[in-house]
Amino acid sequence: MITVEQKKIEEINTMTKDYSCLLVLGCEMCAAISFAGGKRQVAELAAAIRLSRKGSGEEGEVFEESVARQCEPEFIDLVKDKVADCDAVLSLACGAGVQLMAERFSDKVLLPGCNTTFLGVTEELGVWSERCVGCGSCVLDKTAGLCPIARCSKQLLNGPCGGSMKGKCEISKDVDCVWQLIIDRLSRVNQLDKLEEIFPVKDWTPAGHGGPRKLVREDLKS
Amino acid sequence: MRKSNKSSANYPPCKYACPILTDVREYVQLIAERKFTDAFASIRRQNPLPRVCGRICTHPCETACKRGQVEEPIAIASLKRFAADGLWADQYKAALAIESTGHKVAIVGSGPAGLAVAHDLALLGHSVTIFEALPVAGGMLRVGVPEYRLPKDVVAAEIEAIVALGVEVKTGVKIGKDIKLSKLSEQGFQAVFLAIGAHKDRKLGIAGEDELEGVVSAVSFLRAVNLGESPQVGKQVAVVGGGNTAIDSARSLLRMGAKVVSVVYRRSKEEMPAAEEEIEEAIHEGVKMAYLTSPVKIFGEDGRVSALKCIKNELGKPDAGGRRRPEPVSGSEFSLDVDMVVCAVGQAPESSLFADELKLSETGERIYVEASGSLATSLPAIFAGGDAVTGPATAIEAIAAGKQAAVSIDLYLRSKELPSVEKDKREETQALPSTVIERTRSFSRPSKINLSVDDRLKGFDEVEACLSEDRATQEALRCLHCYLGAKVDEERCISCLTCVRACPLGVPTVSKMGEISIDSFACQACGICVLECPVQAIDIDLDSRAKIFKQMETAMAGVQGQRPLIVGFFDFHGNFGAGDIESLRRDYPNIVPVMVFGVRRIDTVDIFKAFALGADGVFIARCPSDNDPFLEITDRIDRRVSYAGRLLEACGKKKEQLDICNMPKEGLVEKEWVDALIGKIKGMS
Amino acid sequence: MKSGSNLERILESGQFAVTAEAGPPKGTSSKVVQRKGELLKFCCDALNVTDNQTAIVRMSSLSGCVLLKELGVEPILQMVVRDRNRLALQSDILGAAALGIGNMLCLSGDHQKFGNHPTAKGVYDIDSIQFIRMVKEMRDEHKFLNGEEISGDVPLFIGAAANPFADPFEFRVTRLAKKIRAGADFIQTQGIFDMSKFAEWMKGVRDRGLHKKTYILAGLIPIKSVGMARYMRNNVSGLDVPQDVVDRMANSKDPKAEGVKICLETIEQLKEIEGIQGIHIMAVAWEDIVPRLVAQAGLMPRPIV
Ligand SMILES: Cc1cc2nc3c(=O)[nH]c(=O)nc-3n(C[C@H](O)[C@H](O)[C@H](O)COP(=O)(O)OP(=O)(O)OC[C@H]3O[C@@H](n4cnc5c(N)ncnc54)[C@H](O)[C@@H]3O)c2cc1C
Ligand code: SF4
Ligand code: SF4
Repeated sequence: MITVEQKKIEEINTMTKDYSCLLVLGCEMCAAISFAGGKRQVAELAAAIRLSRKGSGEEGEVFEESVARQCEPEFIDLVKDKVADCDAVLSLACGAGVQLMAERFSDKVLLPGCNTTFLGVTEELGVWSERCVGCGSCVLDKTAGLCPIARCSKQLLNGPCGGSMKGKCEISKDVDCVWQLIIDRLSRVNQLDKLEEIFPVKDWTPAGHGGPRKLVREDLKS
Repeated sequence: MRKSNKSSANYPPCKYACPILTDVREYVQLIAERKFTDAFASIRRQNPLPRVCGRICTHPCETACKRGQVEEPIAIASLKRFAADGLWADQYKAALAIESTGHKVAIVGSGPAGLAVAHDLALLGHSVTIFEALPVAGGMLRVGVPEYRLPKDVVAAEIEAIVALGVEVKTGVKIGKDIKLSKLSEQGFQAVFLAIGAHKDRKLGIAGEDELEGVVSAVSFLRAVNLGESPQVGKQVAVVGGGNTAIDSARSLLRMGAKVVSVVYRRSKEEMPAAEEEIEEAIHEGVKMAYLTSPVKIFGEDGRVSALKCIKNELGKPDAGGRRRPEPVSGSEFSLDVDMVVCAVGQAPESSLFADELKLSETGERIYVEASGSLATSLPAIFAGGDAVTGPATAIEAIAAGKQAAVSIDLYLRSKELPSVEKDKREETQALPSTVIERTRSFSRPSKINLSVDDRLKGFDEVEACLSEDRATQEALRCLHCYLGAKVDEERCISCLTCVRACPLGVPTVSKMGEISIDSFACQACGICVLECPVQAIDIDLDSRAKIFKQMETAMAGVQGQRPLIVGFFDFHGNFGAGDIESLRRDYPNIVPVMVFGVRRIDTVDIFKAFALGADGVFIARCPSDNDPFLEITDRIDRRVSYAGRLLEACGKKKEQLDICNMPKEGLVEKEWVDALIGKIKGMS
Repeated sequence: MKSGSNLERILESGQFAVTAEAGPPKGTSSKVVQRKGELLKFCCDALNVTDNQTAIVRMSSLSGCVLLKELGVEPILQMVVRDRNRLALQSDILGAAALGIGNMLCLSGDHQKFGNHPTAKGVYDIDSIQFIRMVKEMRDEHKFLNGEEISGDVPLFIGAAANPFADPFEFRVTRLAKKIRAGADFIQTQGIFDMSKFAEWMKGVRDRGLHKKTYILAGLIPIKSVGMARYMRNNVSGLDVPQDVVDRMANSKDPKAEGVKICLETIEQLKEIEGIQGIHIMAVAWEDIVPRLVAQAGLMPRPIV
């Protein structure tokens, strides 16, 4: 999933203060699973904005709404009337959702209520960690199923570096050295010989260094 | 998305186990909320004899109660008595039909079956007359169950309330003898309900029984006692039998001056049909128990009983009913020196009066009714129920029969039709998963407050005392709120797994395709998932989100203008007493208490709502952690408050405006704490 | 000959080499580099010029190398992949070759998080092993990474780093082998304090015959004070300072002398280890001690080949 984190209320207040009538729009997929864009967070944030505005003279109105996914045109079209009625939309979606909203409602002010953090997994309730950077050409077959691009601080393909200590990355005792994990796993699956190979330099084009990416399935597309 | 709730429409086990489907869960919860008047109304709507049942009901609800799987069942009967004995019960007004139907119904017998049918038919607008052979009404409740368990005035008060509905009670009229059954229709009765009970004691069938003085039947003995006839009792008495009648006779005998009372029962204690607590009390009072013993012969001297010859038994193979058959051990005979023998080996209805008109059961004793459950006899317009049909059973079953008969008779009177009653299949209470049991905190059931044995034996004073308000409230709080727990809205659920992860009891499960199931029996409505669910797809019926909002809104609407206005979320689970909330309201009109089952589920949104409604401060009163029914989850409140606090500060509030108050061991909140909070808020500038 | 640098020649001739680190300043003063060059000129065969070491911005390594070269001191150009993508790396290498730099040390670099610009975007386009191979192909095949032809020679003696003390220990020899296979002509190791662990690693190296395929220069870090010993023990990633070294420093009345003593003892032991071809002294902020160390270790005068 894409993990998302709500921006600090201070930042949101500054961002939204000029728009009297505000629509707080939740996104009930990844953002909700990340506890940033669900109905409950919409309610919480809207209440917080209302409270912040209270007594400022310019209270305006703060509306609450949610859609299943802001990254799909059909869903966001369902709230077009609500969008039309407000001065600005505070979207609690990931960056993709905010942008699709902005494209769809070209004359409306669109504000991001969240920071999109990473592609990751839930470790436990309230704890997520990164697993993938969407590099466009997966190497997990060669690295025992653990990604050195997403999880090695130096994105080494021939790691670990000399900073790996007791299983931890040199940048922090709280970060696992993914190369240690890779080696542990390779040894468990009896493939330590894979370490002898020199991994060639990576083609970063599919990772986005070749310009904005687009995926087209000719067989599906109309 | 794709969710389902297993058995969401399920009845709680207590209700399911009750023959009249009393909404136990509802009234228990109302008691927990200290809404005693409402609790009584809830009971009374269903049950015309709540004070009786609160004392002597065999409470199958308690046997089924889910709490019993954790430690001990809720003391449901005691709570019923508590609700029914209080002054508030007098305020109850039954909802009488506005118009009379003009139909007349005769009821034969004024036991619980007769009273129940009379009550329900009267409410439906029919005109009801009860004929009672004895000089007093109440059936076995009045002439069977001894006063120390069920005082006469309690029964009288219940009957009075029914009479107040317009029911006529004619005592001293024996139908079949004084008035023929067939004559009733001539007197204008369009339907008859026979509820004559089972008052004829069975014989022991041993030598000496019929001729010797001092051999009495239990029912007639108890009747005499209850009618104040002060029957002669012996010094040393053997009571033969193992049911409640035997135990009641034995305990009554002790109160009447008998020195030694032995209960002679042919099987062992485990098989004894009398209620276990009754047996314990009897032993406690000094009754001797001769288990695995059968009477063989009664010896006499000068025409009076002098001894009872008995034989010891062994338990053999189970009989058709599954109980192990007692088999005499040869050569084990012995004699008990007694001057009185009470036979309590079962009763049968006095149906012979009607034998020429009505079809009887196969044994020729009980009144036959149709298998459809309509309680119709072999004659049109004549119905029967209670012990007369089932043989000796229980008060609540008799009430259930009465209530069913009311439905049948009403239908019959209106349309000459008979209902076909579907026997509801009473399932066994589902077993709680062991993890749920382990993670649910145990609380003890209130111990009974009984008279001392000395005081008991002085007369027939009621042995058991009623629960105090505080104790009753605490007891009601043990209820695990069966089926009032989490319900997932399939439309809203996004399969985020939060409930699966957050539930302290590990109740929610998920399928491969993301379908969340919350076993609504295992769920105990702690509300954590409701709080955490990011899309608000879960709510609980016990304290729904809307209910909490509404409570807050209503309460705050009443106190605007008070400053500083402070909302306190209080947990019913605190050890506060009845007066504590009132005194808080009196001392601090500016504090708005919002009561919930578990403040653990108060959300940032609730806190913000309070501020939006004009509060200057909010606090959460956390009950002592060992009161929380769920283990190790109280620190959630700290985390929630610190999260909400940060947010509030960012919105311009001060950190003084949100706080946690740890409720004291006793009482609601400490005054010093409240004063300090008010001081802090005032001093904020 | 790969580049014909002094360092290469000394190692080729089988003599015990001495290199040291000369970090460039956090400023523009050429004097700092020049002073270090003058100081170390006679006691070392070549000097490493660090590349934004510990991710702290300093004068570029290439400029430092040029300044040393002007003094007649042989530089080793350190270069990290943290700050440069494949384009920048290759262009700097071309420049280094053009400026007559003969040695380089290919590194990953300390993570930017440690330095004085922790909010910087790390580059890490290629890793150190890919880097070594790239330089080797530039030199031997005259090819850029994309396969295009390079005009002119790229005569570089290629070095790589090895840290025998990092984890997982078993992999450390494998990693060295990979670096050698990628093209490392010489190796400079992390500073050695735990001799037994180092010896164990060297045994692994010899078992695979790696000491025959590259020149291994053992790293040394002279310790000035007990504070420094403690700091390195607790805070410097990839360094393994045993407690008894800290204790020796702590119990000594003259810590500096003790530091020198520890260093000299280490050198003596290193000389005995088969496969060690020299030492590399990293006397951060204590460069003054290097001439004394080299002299007392009996490694003076430096040979001329
Ligand atoms: C000693 C004893 C203790 C008990 N303890 C308990 C207990 O603790 N808990 C419990 O749940 N149950 C208990 N029971 C059982 C319970 O009392 C009966 O199951 C219940 O009272 C049956 O109700 P009923 O209305 O069918 O009959 P009854 O209560 O027996 O009422 C029948 C009435 O009909 C009258 N009658 C009979 N024939 C005629 C006629 N021809 N004309 C007019 N009137 C007539 C009788 O005089 C009697 O008043 C006990 C019973 C006994 C005997
Ligand atoms: S726990 Fe409560 S609702 Fe459940 S069976 Fe017991 S009394 Fe009834
Ligand atoms: S209400 Fe509590 S017990 Fe029930 S499912 Fe939710 S978290 Fe679990």
